[in-house]
Amino acid sequence: MKRTLATLLLATLAVLCAAGSAAAAGSLLIKNGTILTVTRGTIARGDILVINGIIARIGKNIAAPPGVPVIDAAGRYVLPGLIDSHTHIALAGTNEGSEAITPEADVGAVINADDTALFTALTGGVTMAHTMHGSANPIGGPNVVLKMKWGRPSEELVVSEAWRTLKFALGENVKQSSRTIVAGGPPPRYPQTRMGTNAILRREFLRAQNYMAEWDRYEKLKGSKNPPKTLLPPRRDLRLEVLADLLKGKMVARCHDYQATEALEFMGLAKEFGFKIAALEHAWEAYKIADELAAAKIGISVFADSWAYKMEAAEGIAYDAGYCSKKGVLVSINSDSNERIRRLFNDAAKTMKYGGLSEDEALRLVTINPALQLGVDKIVGSLEVGKQADIAIFNEHPMSAYTRCDMTIIDGDVYFDRAGIIAAREEAAKKGGRP
Amino acid sequence: MPTRNRFALWSVLGALCVLPAAAASDVGPTYAIRNVRIVPVTGPVIEKGTLIIRDGLIESLGAVDKTAVPEDAEIIEAEGLTAYPGLISGHTNLLLEDPAAGMGQRGAAGTPTLPAVAAQRGAGTAGETAAGTPELMLLTQLRPAKSTMDGFLKAGFTTVLIAPNRGIIQGQSAVVNLNGLETGPMVLLTPAALHVNFTTNRGGYPSSLMGTIAYIRQSFLDADHYANAKAVYGKNLKGMKRPVHDPFLEALIPYVRDKKPVIFQCNNAEDIKRALKIIEEFKLSGILSQANEAWRAEAALKASRAKLLVTLDFRPPNGSFYTSQGEDLRKKAEAEIYPSNPAALAKAGIAFSLTTFGLTDAAAALRNVRTAIKLGLPEDVALRALTLVPAQTLGLDRQVGSLEPGKIANVILTKGALFDEKTQVERVFVDGVLWKF
Repeated sequence: MKRTLATLLLATLAVLCAAGSAAAAGSLLIKNGTILTVTRGTIARGDILVINGIIARIGKNIAAPPGVPVIDAAGRYVLPGLIDSHTHIALAGTNEGSEAITPEADVGAVINADDTALFTALTGGVTMAHTMHGSANPIGGPNVVLKMKWGRPSEELVVSEAWRTLKFALGENVKQSSRTIVAGGPPPRYPQTRMGTNAILRREFLRAQNYMAEWDRYEKLKGSKNPPKTLLPPRRDLRLEVLADLLKGKMVARCHDYQATEALEFMGLAKEFGFKIAALEHAWEAYKIADELAAAKIGISVFADSWAYKMEAAEGIAYDAGYCSKKGVLVSINSDSNERIRRLFNDAAKTMKYGGLSEDEALRLVTINPALQLGVDKIVGSLEVGKQADIAIFNEHPMSAYTRCDMTIIDGDVYFDRAGIIAAREEAAKKGGRP
Repeated sequence: MPTRNRFALWSVLGALCVLPAAAASDVGPTYAIRNVRIVPVTGPVIEKGTLIIRDGLIESLGAVDKTAVPEDAEIIEAEGLTAYPGLISGHTNLLLEDPAAGMGQRGAAGTPTLPAVAAQRGAGTAGETAAGTPELMLLTQLRPAKSTMDGFLKAGFTTVLIAPNRGIIQGQSAVVNLNGLETGPMVLLTPAALHVNFTTNRGGYPSSLMGTIAYIRQSFLDADHYANAKAVYGKNLKGMKRPVHDPFLEALIPYVRDKKPVIFQCNNAEDIKRALKIIEEFKLSGILSQANEAWRAEAALKASRAKLLVTLDFRPPNGSFYTSQGEDLRKKAEAEIYPSNPAALAKAGIAFSLTTFGLTDAAAALRNVRTAIKLGLPEDVALRALTLVPAQTLGLDRQVGSLEPGKIANVILTKGALFDEKTQVERVFVDGVLWKF
């Protein structure tokens, strides 16, 4: 099994390396597929022309310009590459758990492009993922949005157009409910309760405000006619700098929460200190506060149907996503997993059973909605002329139980080709190599 | 006159006391190595030459018929032998008092532990934990041991950089000649560089790599701020409250302000990119060590001026993709992929030194050079990477790294070409003295 995987991964790596020069080209024509644009309806037997990584035309009977390869999608479904709004893939380390408040710990600094989860994601049509700091701390750290460019260097994965997001967390993880306190071991970390969590967050926001005021005072003095000769810039504090960016609107908050009450408290903090919450993570009790979320334009990024796995998830329901969608909340379905990321479409489809969403509505939960939550809706999340060519081709409708992803394209380059990989493996087997 | 007599007596006694300890300051021996093949590294090979060593330095070298042998020289007939400059390992952890100490030495090294100092800098800042001991001077931990030295000298290494090896900001290294058991005469340069490792602090902050990167950046920011405060204070001694003295930050000033080199230990390709970002941010004189995935960061390295100290320890790093995808790939990684690192760099035209970092057995280092050569590393590049290039990288190329008149007489005599399978180092001169194994 391991060997098979290794062969397969290496085969893809080799293909990608060989295509290294073509990577800059990123041009292809997809012919005769059922195109699910997500934002512009469905086109039967349609074509998509991609030039230099950008969707140049969508329509019918498009002819391939010279040198542009053609992919036959007849009988198949062509859709925007799926986007996972909450994962921890492709990182060297997930939590800076030694302290409660660590906004300086930026996951963007520890991207691991060798993580095979990138490839796993591709096999399920996922082209982009929000890779996040863990939920061990009330304030974790900045997250990063990556394209699943398996085989490319880490810096090429980063989606710089995305909003800068900062991870917060509430509830059992941050109050360390499941941690056993051993005699003689390290003392329990503050906070140990939800009220402590709220208090420490307020304390940090106040500190950030003071920090901003300190810099403002300095800049003012520096710009004055006769600045004091002993004037010194304040000490730069990486921790408070990030929080200051949040308070200045240069970043948005993404907050792990389970229960409605803690979500409301966090929304109160956002109002008090004037920062934007892009989405609440997991949000198992969002259905209880759907109106408040919709009014505040706060999205949720949730699991489909895996609730009640711990106390604070006891009142989770599988109707959370569907119900909140219908209430006007911006909902995405996430995997939060290196493995489930390849079945994100299955999880999205569950909202049709639980919550009665249509196929199109369900597909939005893993395409344009997460794009909106990440601030990348202008570049990806749907198939539109001018958007980046992140495209998945499925053999059946992606919300069907019988579907599978055949091909995954990022910026106009094929990063996963099921048929090609199978052929390469069979070829290798014929030559006496390992299948 | 009594006074005079007493003076004379003290002089004699003083000389008696000092003599044994002051051997290195004595006049060293003069050698004429004759009929030797000389590979100076910086000049053309002399097939049949004479090399004159006097009092620790190379006095002259040249063809046998053109080089006079001084009368007082001890003649060493070296027919069939080849003289090379002593090899240099630009990063080692040799001869440490207690390799497990380092971080534990913190109190002794005088790191600030006063909560007041840490608190003043705010939570999570440098100096709070044992993650950083920039003020630690390697020299204080150096305990020369003849057996270790013998091993390295037998493999041809006469000069090594010895670095502390615990924590994230580990302390300051020294470059020494392996010339005896006394530390004073060994030193070529101290402090040589500041050492930074992308590791984590067990049981404390930072416990993750991303925390570590923030910790390193915050430490440099704090040092810069501290230097700034001191400079302003220096101009306003009257009328300004003095900045609180901080040994941690004090130690970092030469590195953030005066371009003293900072050596980053890079476990994998991503560490190289992380180090380059920090070097760029703080305009450091950066050196990347270990770097056995340097070939995977070619583009970033080409775009940077940071120097490279590439290890001859070809073991794949922990978490390497190549070792986690099955036996076949793992074997290939160990036998071929990682040992091809130097060859790949040479092919890409990226300059680098080779070091013994991570190897305790110097003979293994030479074996690994041969492997690298088999995998395509040109021999002349290998030789320079072990002599002149590390000398340049460490700023010691006027003293060591080649055979030239006036340079320190670190000379090795081999039977056969240095990188041939069966070649033995026959004799080693360190600081102009023939080493006795």
